Amino acid sequence: MNILKLLADLAAVDPDSYERISGRRGVLASLGQTGRRAVAAAVPLAFGAVLQKAYGRQSATVLDTFTLALTLEYLESEFYKQALASSMTFPGNTRSVIQLIAKHEQEHVSFLQATLTASGAVIPAKPKFDFTGSKNGTAPALYPAVFQDFGTFLKVAQLLEDTGVRAYKGQVDVLITENDLLEAALRIHAVEARHAAHIRGMRRALKANVRYWISAKDEVITTPNVTDAVYAGENIDKQLLPDLVTFFPTPTTQILTGTKEQVAISLGEAFDEPMTAAAASSIASLFIYA
Amino acid sequence: MRRRSFFQAAGATVAASTLLLAGCGDDTTVEPALPPTTLSLGKGEIGVANYAYLLEQLEAAFYQKVLDSPPSDFLAGELASFTELRDHEVIHREFFKQLLGTSAIPTLEFNFSSITFTTRAGVLAAARTFEDLGVAAYNGAGKLLSTKATLVLVGKIASVEARHAAFIRDLLQADPFADAVETTGAFAGLGRTLTPAQVIEAAAKFFPYTILVSDLPTA
Repeated sequence: MNILKLLADLAAVDPDSYERISGRRGVLASLGQTGRRAVAAAVPLAFGAVLQKAYGRQSATVLDTFTLALTLEYLESEFYKQALASSMTFPGNTRSVIQLIAKHEQEHVSFLQATLTASGAVIPAKPKFDFTGSKNGTAPALYPAVFQDFGTFLKVAQLLEDTGVRAYKGQVDVLITENDLLEAALRIHAVEARHAAHIRGMRRALKANVRYWISAKDEVITTPNVTDAVYAGENIDKQLLPDLVTFFPTPTTQILTGTKEQVAISLGEAFDEPMTAAAASSIASLFIYA
Repeated sequence: MRRRSFFQAAGATVAASTLLLAGCGDDTTVEPALPPTTLSLGKGEIGVANYAYLLEQLEAAFYQKVLDSPPSDFLAGELASFTELRDHEVIHREFFKQLLGTSAIPTLEFNFSSITFTTRAGVLAAARTFEDLGVAAYNGAGKLLSTKATLVLVGKIASVEARHAAFIRDLLQADPFADAVETTGAFAGLGRTLTPAQVIEAAAKFFPYTILVSDLPTA
């Protein structure tokens, strides 16, 4: 009998019983709060052990999630690194904010690499990136002035950050039984959302019609059949509840005063929608050439 | 917990002071009925959803109070922005209310006496506190959920709160990430996370009851 397979099957049916049997709460939880702080330096190792356990038990899905996340963090990290190394002018205090964002992205790369390494997984090599979208000059450029014109840079930054938020959100259900990994992913997800919002704020300062949150009222910056997947399905105005039958809001509920159209827009703004791994990979691939 | 039982299980309770119970014994003196002093959020996912519902009630009530009597030094466009923030938080509040159904905690009246509503600085400082607290709360609450669909829904709200927090910091011209993102150690670059007990303690002065989170899951 394959006990790992049995536990995985049982988990799919009844997460509570699985928890009782396996003690799945992970390496870190058993250390307690004080212990956690004491071993902070060893944390990636402990996370790797959790990931390794998860990998052995549940096929490749958890590992896939971390591999996707690392690809997206490589992308963002390299994007800001190249921008800061360019001769582009950063108005006002924007250079210092972009430097902080770049630092976070590099820290996300390091965190994910350490976790993957400790799990015994091979760290995927960093791809080669071309942020003009020309695939190293072999295709027409999507954003030829990405590191020359600050407005273009911010548009691409917004697309990448909003994609990152949606991609992490699309993976949280894969991590649901791995508490430590889930919490780490959510913590990165929230930082990406802050990044996206601040980038949007910089665009507002340039008089772009955009909000800190994703809104149907934002000016469209995507290209049909190229980058429109970034916001595809983002502004839905109702949410399917966990009973998988009823929706929020119900058809008769008046949540807000205002026109039907405005209420629908607010409902779209109030929820950020997830993105599949395939969609996120496809968007990332626009900027990868090897 | 299975999906279907989520909504059927007994929900949160508002309890009279435990002092009343402690007083029961040989002494037969009957105490006069006291107003409720403690509020339990409930167990399992219901408890976690009530925790989120409580925080969304708090945020929505705060923004509504700002809109009821805006500070005179609000800058152009800020009233409109705060109306949008209020609308988002009302939507979040009503979302959790519908999700919880009969298991929902009651509508609370909050104590905002510590907030200076008459000045822009007072309003923005409080907004920053609420939004940053909300983001850290959602970061810590995700792992307490065991139903995938609920986790994804909560994640959809969590990032909107992070966007709000970023917006308020920009209005304040404050450091965009200070105290919100870890700067050193193994978790450098990850957002701040707080447990329900930590969040409730930080927000205790706003609550009309002692909020009991002891029945919430801890992992």
